[in-house]
Amino acid sequence: MRRSGRPSLRRRQDMDTSDSGGVTPLGRKTAETGINFTSTTRFSRGLTFIRTHTLFGQSPARRIIPQTCLLQENADPQKIAFLLRKQWTLYSVTPMYKFSYGNLKEYSRLLSAFVAAEKRKGLAVEVGNDLGIKVTLSTLLGLKGTDQDQVAILVQIASRSQLPCENAEDKVVWSGWFCCISGDDLLESVPDDFTCLSLFLANGAESYTAIVGSWFQKTFDCYFSHLTISPLNLAWMAAMWTGCKVDSHMAATELVFSVPCIPQSLDISYAIHPEDAKALWDTVQKTPGEVTQEEVNLFMDCLYSHFHRHFKIHLSATRLVKVSTSIASAHCDGNIKVLN
Amino acid sequence: MSASGRRRRGALNSGFTMDETVAEYIRRTVLKIPRHEIMEMLTMWEFLSKTQLQTINVHQIKEKISQEVVELCEENSASIKQAAILDMIYNHTYRNKKVWTVYQMTKAAGEETDSFNLADFKYKFKRSLRSALKNVTINFREYEDNAIWIRIAWGTQYTKPNQYKATYVVYHSQTPYVFISSLRSSLPLLCQALVHASSYHDIHEMELRSRCIDSLKDIVFKRYSQTFQTYHPRPLQERNVAPEKVDPRIIQENKREKERIQRVNQEVFGEGLQPKIEFAQYKLETMFKGEPEMDILTEKEPFRCVVKFSSPHLLEALKSLAPAGMADAPLSPLLTCIPQKARNYFKIKERKGILSASCLGP
Repeated sequence: MRRSGRPSLRRRQDMDTSDSGGVTPLGRKTAETGINFTSTTRFSRGLTFIRTHTLFGQSPARRIIPQTCLLQENADPQKIAFLLRKQWTLYSVTPMYKFSYGNLKEYSRLLSAFVAAEKRKGLAVEVGNDLGIKVTLSTLLGLKGTDQDQVAILVQIASRSQLPCENAEDKVVWSGWFCCISGDDLLESVPDDFTCLSLFLANGAESYTAIVGSWFQKTFDCYFSHLTISPLNLAWMAAMWTGCKVDSHMAATELVFSVPCIPQSLDISYAIHPEDAKALWDTVQKTPGEVTQEEVNLFMDCLYSHFHRHFKIHLSATRLVKVSTSIASAHCDGNIKVLN
Repeated sequence: MSASGRRRRGALNSGFTMDETVAEYIRRTVLKIPRHEIMEMLTMWEFLSKTQLQTINVHQIKEKISQEVVELCEENSASIKQAAILDMIYNHTYRNKKVWTVYQMTKAAGEETDSFNLADFKYKFKRSLRSALKNVTINFREYEDNAIWIRIAWGTQYTKPNQYKATYVVYHSQTPYVFISSLRSSLPLLCQALVHASSYHDIHEMELRSRCIDSLKDIVFKRYSQTFQTYHPRPLQERNVAPEKVDPRIIQENKREKERIQRVNQEVFGEGLQPKIEFAQYKLETMFKGEPEMDILTEKEPFRCVVKFSSPHLLEALKSLAPAGMADAPLSPLLTCIPQKARNYFKIKERKGILSASCLGP
């Protein structure tokens, strides 16, 4: 499935808050909360990346890096900041039947009751004790690929503070969010009653994820499945994220390989100084704003060959399981963490 | 059994109340010991009498066992010294749970090696540490293989020693090597005490770290051999075994290559069991050079990277790479030199355009 460039997209290498044009007020606001505008672009970019080809199983030969800001005007910087620096486990969700954005309060109430009931199973609990758990569903404005995409939904489970004082804050114990990034190809073929929020990210206890997942599956007749990231896609992420310019402290580009088929397990961590990794990528990548499969392969082959020269080990025969850069890290089990 | 009766008797007899912290420490140490080892360790401890040991029921829950042991210790007026010895016994048995760093002591030029006197060593060591730090618990225990185990619990000027974060030192008096684990601070103090007590001049950290202290000893004492297996004797494998009934239609395409790999691997690694280490780290600062057609980076600066290998048994894993087809045989000397050079942390720099493992200091 080719992601072709659309004429409406403006191409820019980097987004500064200064030339954000119509979104200057928001730009100022983000500067206060300390979030980089470009980082959220990368966040959406990273997600687009994961979504478009892990879901459809194909890896395009060429990929356009969306250079525009994908952050809509009504984004809440605080909510977006909340998504950073957490480890998210990825799931793919089939379209949901008769999901309505207007009923979020009702869904919150129902899901709260469901979670409380599930947690209570097997426990001897007095009647009326609600275990202090509160579930909220809210919209996450601003995380969309295109205007046709559905608005993202954030689900949070908070435990009510045990303290008697009035303004004691509830502590969030689990978060999950649904989003749909640039799925307009799929959206065209989906009937009206369905809402397509095909990527789900969860952070928190596995038990809560299972409970929330089963409620959504039952209520909206959809299906959640674990998303894994193949070594090929991890290599793409390594290449693309290495190429990004980061203003703050740069962390090393680290690739972790696991060696199969030998009696003792062996893990190899190959961490490259960020400046040197970026220098290598810049020499490999030819067209700005566009990345090809050949470029990614060449980048990886260079790294493998440097390694082989020293250790005589063929890294290409091993399995790439984790990729970590200043921007984000991703693990083949379907865990990602956006740092910047 | 009247546990309470036991306690009353103990209290009445000696009028001694064991320190609460000591009691708690003994209790927690016993709780750590797996059930089937408890009797053996308590016997090794030689602090409780045979009759006392017989009264302990090891078939109850561990909390109760440890409680019974504490009560018996109360009867015998246990002090922190005995508690520390029990801890040393536990840590000697489970020595592979800790990460050990190897240190080497050196003599000044011209100095002669005096004959070793254990009592002298202990006295000097304690005096050296105590002169710098009042609040410290020091215990010694000797083992058959000439190993001296030292346990040090560190306190500060105002606080009592923290028994739960003790440092362990293993010193073989006939060698200049010392193995240290669980050291958070106070390294200079410890080094000074060791050098002073053993009449050496200086001590430095080797770039060698592992959990398996026995393997570390193999490496530094050169008790393994890369050509003949001497330390871990294994019955010689029969070479001229009758061939298995293999289907004659199956032909090994690269039989000769496979044999060559096996042979080269054998030469490089030796036949014996490899010493057990868990990781190796290489800090590379060499120039980037890919295949000729990839002559991309024309940088004059080195390509900086850090490579870490980790495995439950690293050397065996590396040995199996070439036969599995993931590496060339012979494997790079950077990897195979680990036991020989007795280090698993390396800094590799480019030297005159030829790659060499110049093992520079940290």
